[in-house]
Amino acid sequence: MKILIIEDERELVKSMAQYLRQESYVCEVAYTAQEANEKILLFEYDCILLDINLPDGNGLKILETLKANQKQDGVIIITARNSLDDKVTGLNLGADDYLAKPFFLPELAARVSAVIRRRHFNGSNRISFHEITVDLLGKTLHVNQKPVELTRKEYDLLVFLLANRNRVVSKNAIAEHLSGDDAELLDKFDFIYTHMKNLKRKLADAGSADYIKTVYGLGYKFTE
Amino acid sequence: MRLLQVSLRSLLLYSLLLVLISMPISYISISAILNHEVDETLQLQSEQFLKHVKSFEYLDDLERDLEVLDQLTYNIHIKPSPGSIPGQTFETLNVFDSLEQIERPYRMLSSIVKIKGMPYRLTISMSLVDNHKLLTAIGLVQAVLILALTGGLLFINRSLTRRLWKPFYKTLDKLKAYEVDKNETIDTEQTRISEFNDLNKTIGTLTGRNRKIFLQQKEFIEDAAHELQTPLAVFQAKLDLLMQQSGLSEGAAELIGRLEQTAQRMNRLNKNLLLLSKIDNRQFSQTENIELDALVGEYLTKLKPRMEENGLQLIESIRPAAINANRTLIEVLATNLLHNAILHTASGGSIFVTVEPGRLEIGNTGTPLQSPERIFDRFRKETNHERGSGLGLAIVKKICENFGYRVSYAFADGKHLFTIRFNS
Repeated sequence: MKILIIEDERELVKSMAQYLRQESYVCEVAYTAQEANEKILLFEYDCILLDINLPDGNGLKILETLKANQKQDGVIIITARNSLDDKVTGLNLGADDYLAKPFFLPELAARVSAVIRRRHFNGSNRISFHEITVDLLGKTLHVNQKPVELTRKEYDLLVFLLANRNRVVSKNAIAEHLSGDDAELLDKFDFIYTHMKNLKRKLADAGSADYIKTVYGLGYKFTE
Repeated sequence: MRLLQVSLRSLLLYSLLLVLISMPISYISISAILNHEVDETLQLQSEQFLKHVKSFEYLDDLERDLEVLDQLTYNIHIKPSPGSIPGQTFETLNVFDSLEQIERPYRMLSSIVKIKGMPYRLTISMSLVDNHKLLTAIGLVQAVLILALTGGLLFINRSLTRRLWKPFYKTLDKLKAYEVDKNETIDTEQTRISEFNDLNKTIGTLTGRNRKIFLQQKEFIEDAAHELQTPLAVFQAKLDLLMQQSGLSEGAAELIGRLEQTAQRMNRLNKNLLLLSKIDNRQFSQTENIELDALVGEYLTKLKPRMEENGLQLIESIRPAAINANRTLIEVLATNLLHNAILHTASGGSIFVTVEPGRLEIGNTGTPLQSPERIFDRFRKETNHERGSGLGLAIVKKICENFGYRVSYAFADGKHLFTIRFNS
């Protein structure tokens, strides 16, 4: 899977690439609009992470070029502006998703994963991990081919962890992912602990191994 | 006291003083001139008379004729004089006028003359203007002068105030109504008076400059918040990567966790600052019809689990209510008030939500605040709540201010209550 990161802040690019590479994505980088324009016309990417504010131009122009050339690359707009106009314009221009700075890297990974799956596995959009199979379209979970009932939050939590396999995901990132702006109301420890406990119990009851590890002081890690 | 009244007062005082001083001076000088004239006339008359008499010196019985003349004339008397030293004396005396039954002042010239070698006393007298009459006349004239002066000055002053100072008062009214965050600049009209034009120009420059500084300041806050987003993103990303390091000690892991919570607070604070300045910069001007009941209902459904977890009871009364407003801001408004209520209610308390046409009420049980008048102030937190940004209610107030909604806070019966009235 190839990802193009178009972003002028080098430190951020480095971190994004480092995090996404652990998912075995191949990351390429464009620091300017000009570089980006060259790359998108020469290569195909599974997902493009596009910063709107570039030193030499508006990122939305790149999106227009992409669409004008009938490119099928998935696009996630990243912006510091967090403005509704950009979001609406971007999505209208054909972007798949929108992420405002600052963001959690696990959140980015989850969005990238969702975009790539939507683009590549039309019809049978599944994530499998040993005995666990998640159907992203039907939003259902099967363990050893047997269906397991999950609440909406438990399902979201599982998909989020699966998108960040083998990496530590903090409670803050989980809380933000599950409840957005309402995260400030949460006593994160209680809230996440309850959902995690239920999810782990349901997985164990269905005969799954215990893949969700607690990382002291930080959060959780989905790993073998 | 108005400026013109002060100058008028000085003018009036000065003219009054002048008039008062001029009264004795004119009296003295007029009577002096009159006396002098009369004296000259008397002198002339006496000379004429003597000349005339001399031409009759050939008459033998001139003495008798002179006697007759003395008897007949009223204001010329000529009598033989015992003394023989020639000389003249002027004197003023009051003589009783039997005709008018009053005393009248007379000027009299007595001279010793020689007619046919015989000494005679020639007395010629002349009626003077009555002193009282003179005084009265002068007084009258001056009084009229004072009246005319005062009246005239007052009248001119009034019409000046009305007409001449009109542009000044206009500018003053505009200045009084000026608000740097609402008005653009002050428009003034050209006048004939250069001072006013100067004033208007200066005010125009001053307000223009203030406005510019104000706008720059506003822009600065928004830019600063924008610019902070990227370093915050880098910081967050590095933390996320730091967590992935293998072999982190428990202490290090806990430190990273705390760091991340702090980063979250910074993010939230920055986001709210950005939102605040965006509202200030009128970046949410699009309005649409919003079903307030549906919007609030949706939030309550989302937040109900939170309330249950926190042991809070929800008491709602929601009736259909539609408003025309900016959706994003109404969402922010509802979210902030609900978050505020949930964050500041102790377990076992209640949250009250009322939606009625044109009105939204959100309340919660609690204890009275120490300074309720400052509840909408920025970063004003009475409880040191780690989770609130301290900007939520300030944003609520800002939204209401910008869109003409009325927001009020009250505490009664152990209940904090926020009310927003949408139709002004």
